[in-house]
Amino acid sequence: MSVTEIKSAGTTAAAAPAKMKLRALLIEDNQLDAELVLRWLRKDGYDVTSLVVQDEAAFIKALHSLSPDIVLADYNLPSWKGMEAVGVLVREGLDIPLILVSGALGDVTAVECIKRGATDYVLKDGLARLPEAIHRALEERQERQRRRQAEQDLARQAAELARSNADLEQFAYVASHDLQEPLRMVTAYTQLLAERYRGVLDADADKFIGYASEGAQRMQVLIQDLLAFSRVGRKNSDRAETDCNALLQDVLHTLTPAIQESGAHVDAEGLPTIWADRTLLAQVLQNLIGNAIKFRGKDAPLIHVKAEKNDQEWRFTVSDNGIGIPAEHAENIFVVFQRLHARSEYPGNGIGLAICKKVIERYGGKIWVESQPGSGSTFIFTLPLSSCQKPGNLNS
Amino acid sequence: MSMNEIDILLVDDSQEDVDLTLHALRGERLANRVFVARDGEEALEFVFCTGQHAGRSFEHPLKLVLLDLKLPKVDGLQVLKRMKSDERTKTVPVVLMTSSKEERDRMKGYELGVNSYLQKPVDFDEFRRMVKLAGLYWLVVNQPPVASRAPALAEAAK
Amino acid sequence: MTSCMMLLIVDDNPADVGLAREALANSSIVSEITTCKDGEEALAFLHKDGGYANTARPDLMILDLSLPGRDGLSVLTEVKADPELKRIPVVIFSTSRLAKDIARSYQLGANCYISKPGNLKDFFSAIRSIQQFWFAVVSLPAQGE
Repeated sequence: MSVTEIKSAGTTAAAAPAKMKLRALLIEDNQLDAELVLRWLRKDGYDVTSLVVQDEAAFIKALHSLSPDIVLADYNLPSWKGMEAVGVLVREGLDIPLILVSGALGDVTAVECIKRGATDYVLKDGLARLPEAIHRALEERQERQRRRQAEQDLARQAAELARSNADLEQFAYVASHDLQEPLRMVTAYTQLLAERYRGVLDADADKFIGYASEGAQRMQVLIQDLLAFSRVGRKNSDRAETDCNALLQDVLHTLTPAIQESGAHVDAEGLPTIWADRTLLAQVLQNLIGNAIKFRGKDAPLIHVKAEKNDQEWRFTVSDNGIGIPAEHAENIFVVFQRLHARSEYPGNGIGLAICKKVIERYGGKIWVESQPGSGSTFIFTLPLSSCQKPGNLNS
Repeated sequence: MSMNEIDILLVDDSQEDVDLTLHALRGERLANRVFVARDGEEALEFVFCTGQHAGRSFEHPLKLVLLDLKLPKVDGLQVLKRMKSDERTKTVPVVLMTSSKEERDRMKGYELGVNSYLQKPVDFDEFRRMVKLAGLYWLVVNQPPVASRAPALAEAAK
Repeated sequence: MTSCMMLLIVDDNPADVGLAREALANSSIVSEITTCKDGEEALAFLHKDGGYANTARPDLMILDLSLPGRDGLSVLTEVKADPELKRIPVVIFSTSRLAKDIARSYQLGANCYISKPGNLKDFFSAIRSIQQFWFAVVSLPAQGE
């Protein structure tokens, strides 16, 4: 072989995707025109398998037998308009690009055809454009397929996640519920043992019974907390117009013993009426205010509850003058069962803030704390306006 | 206090007994959610949200009805019968509280499904004590058919 | 009519029955306690079937909801539908706090509904309150011999 021949052989091979298979369905009544189109395709490097049809019946049959990657249609056939093929593709639900290959085709008609679903058009005396049009059409189709696949994957993942969440919550609920029965037995009877046999057996017995009793009681509280935690996701929101001032009063009423014992003073400012699940919101406030009272310093707790609105969200703050929280713990206090102090110093399971976080995040909001040890804490949570407005009501 | 926050309906036409009852309930801090009806007709209007009480709603059901037997216009047994035969009201606890010692009245009451029957003692202190115990039992120990907000929060606090 | 009140407890949990007896052991109100561990036995007792022919009817019934075989609500339904038994006050005493169990109990004619407390002190207090209210405050209907 001469150098020139080798060079040209190399050049030809690099002109198009090397020998890609292409199944082309042509709608054309002119044998020569069809041949011309196929020759352009082969010249572009495609390994072409093709069929040529002239009417709808043959077209539909060919769609099934050939499964074409692309349809090349003449706009003007005597018996059947090339554009009607687009209608057939839509009806059959097939995403196959259709390129009109036509003689005279005014610009207006060309745009119309594309609007009606043709992918592109190429003039018969401008077939040089055909390969490029085909590449583009196929690339776009691939892109569409990739996107559809991704959406399906996402939907499937979301469904699986939802199901797994539902399972988990169901499990937590059933486990907590069924655990309470035998636990009730243990708690009641260890207490009965303690009452009846205190001082009757030896000192060790008293101690053993004491530990058992304490453990059982702690477990009871733990399970009730777990139940509450699992309930947060389970309930389908009973949302309603909620007056946060009245809600706060209810919460304070429930906390009366703690408030009286600590001499706590709670005041509020700017609390709105929003569309929310009353029980869940009450739980959040109760946990935050309860904590503010519990983790107090030497002074009586002074607690300030405030709400402010900006154009995206409601921002609630609960600030206190208690013992404060070191910065390095600011995030993990929201983790289930995470506690910063020994049980003997401050009671509790460490689930209250985890519940708050779960509730707030369910509304699409955020909760965090700003605090310094020794100078109190401010807990802040946000509720996006979109999630606390009555559906269908754009004014809050 | 709105008509929709009432927990207890007291139906009695004797001013003395009403005063004693409210006094006893006040001692247990239950008195601020009591509505007093002086006759059976008003009691029925209150319970069924009709007539002069048409503005009330069924959303906050009563936790307890303290009902005397001898009432003007519509008597206690009639009120009881109406309440226990209507789906909307049959689950409300009704306690007959009457001076009648008639066994016949008692039997009829239980026959009609009264939740309990209390005989008003003659002695003032005994009367007060009875109201206090009944109030505590029906509002604190008992679980009414639809829990109000406060007990739900108390549950959550445990 | 006996001066001693008769209490029927229907509960399949011997531990809870034990607690109830313990709670009432030192009560100033003397009562006779009979227990049945399931619905069938309870109804046989109430109807004075077979071996129960010579028993008196209880003045008060404390009924658990979760029983083996026939559940508490079905026993309640039968009792409140029977003209001879419907006057017996029935106190539902159950661990369930579900609103639907509470509502259903009232609908079927329960006189009241008490949730079994989790700790000893409250359990005792509940049982004693029940006994005190129904045997010392309430005027009970006379039960036939």
